[in-house]
Amino acid sequence: MKNVKEIVRLAFTQYLCSDNFIHFTTRVSDFAIEVLDLIKIYQKRRHEPVKAVNGISFEVRQGEIFGLLGPNGAGKTTTIKILTTLLAPTSGAARVAGHDVVADPLGVRKQICVVVQENAIELYLSVRNNFRTFGRFHGLTSREIEERTDRVTELFGLREYLNEKGLDLSGGLKRRVQVAKTFIVDKPIVFLDEATTGMDAFHKRATLEAIKEESRKGRTIVLTTHILDEAEELCDSVAIMNRGRIIARGSVEHVKAMSLRLLYLTLSLETVSQDVLQAIQERNPLNIDIKNNTIEVTVREATAALDVLAAVKQTGLLRHFEITSASLEDVFLQLVDKKASID
Amino acid sequence: MREVLAVVYREYLIRRTSPTWLFFDLAVPLLYLLMFGVAFDKALGHGLRIGEAIVPYNAFFLGGVLSMSSFGSAMNQSYGFFVDRDNGIFYEFLTYPMTRGQFLLGKILFQCVMAVVQCVLTIAAGTLILQIGIRWELLPFVFIGMTIGTAGWFFFLAIVAFRIRRNDTFNTVINVAYFVLMFLSSMFYPLEQVPSWLRAISCANPLTWQTDALRFLTIGLGSFSSFMLEAVGFGAFLLLSFWFAVRTLQKAL
Repeated sequence: MKNVKEIVRLAFTQYLCSDNFIHFTTRVSDFAIEVLDLIKIYQKRRHEPVKAVNGISFEVRQGEIFGLLGPNGAGKTTTIKILTTLLAPTSGAARVAGHDVVADPLGVRKQICVVVQENAIELYLSVRNNFRTFGRFHGLTSREIEERTDRVTELFGLREYLNEKGLDLSGGLKRRVQVAKTFIVDKPIVFLDEATTGMDAFHKRATLEAIKEESRKGRTIVLTTHILDEAEELCDSVAIMNRGRIIARGSVEHVKAMSLRLLYLTLSLETVSQDVLQAIQERNPLNIDIKNNTIEVTVREATAALDVLAAVKQTGLLRHFEITSASLEDVFLQLVDKKASID
Repeated sequence: MREVLAVVYREYLIRRTSPTWLFFDLAVPLLYLLMFGVAFDKALGHGLRIGEAIVPYNAFFLGGVLSMSSFGSAMNQSYGFFVDRDNGIFYEFLTYPMTRGQFLLGKILFQCVMAVVQCVLTIAAGTLILQIGIRWELLPFVFIGMTIGTAGWFFFLAIVAFRIRRNDTFNTVINVAYFVLMFLSSMFYPLEQVPSWLRAISCANPLTWQTDALRFLTIGLGSFSSFMLEAVGFGAFLLLSFWFAVRTLQKAL
């Protein structure tokens, strides 16, 4: 099913490109982004050098939503800064839309638009003029800007704020304006660094839907986020970074499978008796968590889950049960924790 | 060109929202000429003796006021980088589809227009209120001088702005530099009458070159050969500052 979805997406992408919907002016490649052995060392006077990015390699296919995940200080933002030509790498290579980030930074910038981690809007200009200036920088005509501003302000619920100055907006609204700006231009690659930070649930949802919609149109989206549910929902593939290195990468399903086959068994019981607890503990689960009449048991491998289930059923207190695999967040925590303990 | 004009458009929109900035850009040097210039003119009585000529202080000071307005405009504009940094927009700008050079040119182009407007106001006040005799035939060259001067000082100050992270440090450095550059130049007084060590330092100051050039173009003080020498010197200062500012901006993060 996934393959069929992929084929449809590629065909749709090619259709959009042929229709000049997105102006690809670079060589045709399967990959929108290629990163090879990238290293960034920050060297400050009177300080030890810091290796923020330590030899990472990955590729992002065209039209894909790619998530760069990791704890604070993992090197995600440094990587994004290199890919968006804000920083030069110490060594290694990176190509964005076929352009080398060091040799042809302007070529890269012509193919991307970026939501930087910092709140970045013109505080002294109205929301409308924020769109106007952004559109002009990206080569849109006044008419195109007005038309697209209408669509985007509707999508992001900004219509009533169009004449407000950036200075007078709340933090969440500023972020919304910043993200909305990127949707008025047709650049094939979009970088979103913690794009939904500070947004309320309603507009976060609208943003996620807009990202999905843009991806369906064939745009490649690279995002960093701390919110792993968001990544799980959006991303086709992810890379998990820790201490400058990539510790896992692949499709979300592939990365989740790296959880050493962790399973979560949720058991709803008539009552939590000693017999039930003893039956579970005898099977040496990885973790037991009791909440009222519900017990959550973490086990490794399906056979262990079935074994616990059978033992609890024998007590006659089981009402119903649910078996779930590890979430991206579980895998993330497990991998980052494991890596930390190795280091 | 589209990229440069996009930056100019943005600067125009921002300036339109800030009357204080507009006041500083357009009126402050003019007030300087009218208050400081008039006061000194009266105090000196018969004017300044420069070579064989006697020049009224108001006329002498006009070139100084014009370079002061160039420097002030450039200083204001370079401070704008800190405002952009505080707004976070500075980093977003650097991901827009334009070169660092186009970004810097766009930033100063609008300010150059402002400097020319300021120059028109100052010359108008000088001729109408203070009866300064202007070489009208050279007025277009005065405008070019104002543009080159403003751009040169902006690129120079941009280097400082990119290398300093804190705006309070930048303010201190720039104010001290402004003070030193102004008083170690021919802006307020003719260099013929100052101690030789001060004259030697002042002759190496690009603010002296700009002031002397503008003085030659407005009231005809000085020789053509020294005007050419100082104009070429300032041109080299502009190109060097631009090149260095672009390089510094590439490493500004």
